[in-house]
Amino acid sequence: MNSTRRLLLGSALAAPFAAPALAQNDPYVIGTLFPMSGPNAEYGTVFTQGAQLAIQHIEADRMLRRPIRLQAEDTQALPQQGVIGMQKLVNVDRAVFTLVGFTAVSKAVAPIGDRAQSVMVNGGAVGPDLAGLSPYFWNVIPLAHLETRALLPYLSQERRVRRVALVYVDDPLGDAILSELRQQLPRVNAELVGSFSIPRTAQQFGPIAARVRQARPDAVYIASFGAQQAQIIKGLRDNGVSTLLCSYSAMGLDSVRTLAEAEGLVFTSQKMDFEGGDALTRRFATDFNARFSKTPTIYNANYYNAVRLFGLLAQGIEQAGGTVNGESLRAALLARRRFDLVGGPGEFDDQGNMMAAIEVLEYRGGRTQRLVG
Amino acid sequence: MLELQLLLGGLQNGALYALTAAGFALIFGATKVFHVAHGATFTLAGYVFIGAWNAGWHPVLGVLAAMAAAVAFGIAMERFVYRPIGRHEGGFFTVFVAAFGVSIVVQNLIAMVAGRGFANVDSPLSMASEVLPELFLAPVFWISIVAAVAMFLALTLFLSRHPAGVALRALAQNADLLRAYGLSSSKLSILAFALGSVLAAPAAILTAMTSGINEAVGNHVMLISMAATIVGGVGSLRGAALAGLLLGVAEAVVLTVLDTQWAEGASFMVLFAFILFRPSGMFGAAVAR
Repeated sequence: MNSTRRLLLGSALAAPFAAPALAQNDPYVIGTLFPMSGPNAEYGTVFTQGAQLAIQHIEADRMLRRPIRLQAEDTQALPQQGVIGMQKLVNVDRAVFTLVGFTAVSKAVAPIGDRAQSVMVNGGAVGPDLAGLSPYFWNVIPLAHLETRALLPYLSQERRVRRVALVYVDDPLGDAILSELRQQLPRVNAELVGSFSIPRTAQQFGPIAARVRQARPDAVYIASFGAQQAQIIKGLRDNGVSTLLCSYSAMGLDSVRTLAEAEGLVFTSQKMDFEGGDALTRRFATDFNARFSKTPTIYNANYYNAVRLFGLLAQGIEQAGGTVNGESLRAALLARRRFDLVGGPGEFDDQGNMMAAIEVLEYRGGRTQRLVG
Repeated sequence: MLELQLLLGGLQNGALYALTAAGFALIFGATKVFHVAHGATFTLAGYVFIGAWNAGWHPVLGVLAAMAAAVAFGIAMERFVYRPIGRHEGGFFTVFVAAFGVSIVVQNLIAMVAGRGFANVDSPLSMASEVLPELFLAPVFWISIVAAVAMFLALTLFLSRHPAGVALRALAQNADLLRAYGLSSSKLSILAFALGSVLAAPAAILTAMTSGINEAVGNHVMLISMAATIVGGVGSLRGAALAGLLLGVAEAVVLTVLDTQWAEGASFMVLFAFILFRPSGMFGAAVAR
């Protein structure tokens, strides 16, 4: 009896020390806050595929001592759902690193991650105010102001565009693009001749096309995302808007590329050469194609890079004998700054924003053609 | 000319809203089932047509397949969801939650099978041309109007002339009395679901052709259908159809005076106006308490 009591007592006393030992074998939890349902679900799939391939490579290369577990929370691209998901990720799943997308969602969850000192990495949203949201909020995608500043000189000089109309979604991304166009268009001798705000749920664009035609623009800039952006393109083209359509990197989706009405669409994106790039980029492109039976997009690469960044930072922390958490990850990022990523070396500034070159692309015959960059 | 352009665009959308709303109103009026999964019927029919179109089927076969899918789904909902709930005397919220749950399942199944995101029918019928200076119309405008009028005429004739149609109207007015005369309310319920669901199919096909759809489009369809049912007068088929048309026109015409942001809001301003000033709707009868 005594020995049993001693065993129980000993076990109870040892429990606090045993727990961390078990935790050593627990996987690192990387959270994802993507839309997995609703009209923006296509992005969720695309974003997740990039992250999944990065985990496959990290495990194949034995970069880390502990496995990685991807914990998905469906945001439907809505800030409210994002906040609920982020609370769960940091408080229940103890995620040390969370992948986010969409400007409104990113802005909503940033304070939660900031308080919990949990790193959030954005590879899909481009609202300019995402820079400097928190020391723990990083961007591996160039933000919209960089994209519009690359596009507008091209429109002005090569396409002789002087009058631009904007169809923009009523959210922080759309507002940011509106503000950017108002500031930047006069600098390239052009003007904003009409701005047409639309709710996120809008699906009929015939009436908006009539208003756009009235403004007589040389080009129409579309600032939306998901299924809606394809609906806008179709709605404008089908209803007599034959002028040049242009946009930003959100147009890099198969559903837009294959849309007949998207022929001639000009948009900006990060510069990335999947075929002629370095060994890391070629490996990514080859293995992505093998696993998902399609050519990768920029978004696939961005979220691959986000998870690879975690792998590289955590590897360094493990080798130094440290604990992988938000604070140590941030310190490691600022100490190293430059990383080998898909598309070439990525360099981060003090706020955690990765610098990247921008290119101007065009859809022709269902294929992407490079115009500038 | 902008006003005329917006009016005609609104009529086109309104015709499609009218078809969907009338289907919802027919089911609700006859069976008193708040069929939230009517949006899923719309989505399913749209995707079946897109699948048939992409597979190279003749468009008529595609339309028939979409209608068959809509009818099959409607009947399945009645037989396997609403009727078992009714047997256990489940209340309004039980029905609502069950139908809502089925909608989510359908949404996810469509995403798994057809892929997530935008889907459409690439047809020259949706391409508008300038018929008058600054007035653009696509062939699909006339198709929408003709389809809506033809469906309503056929439905009206059926409900007023055919014995099953008359019985369906009787079911809407007094189900107990109908049973007392020895008629089967369960068979008539199935008929109501079949007719109501088939109305959603042409609207879904034409929407896939004009604005395109995605797996979550049913939510928007349900919002419009519910608004039209209330504005038209709960239980009134012609009320729902007219209200659907009115909401579509309001959504477009409001852009002559307000910012584009208000297009959808206009529908709900109409709804609020009716709720405040005529709660029984256009053709609904006021009920004394």
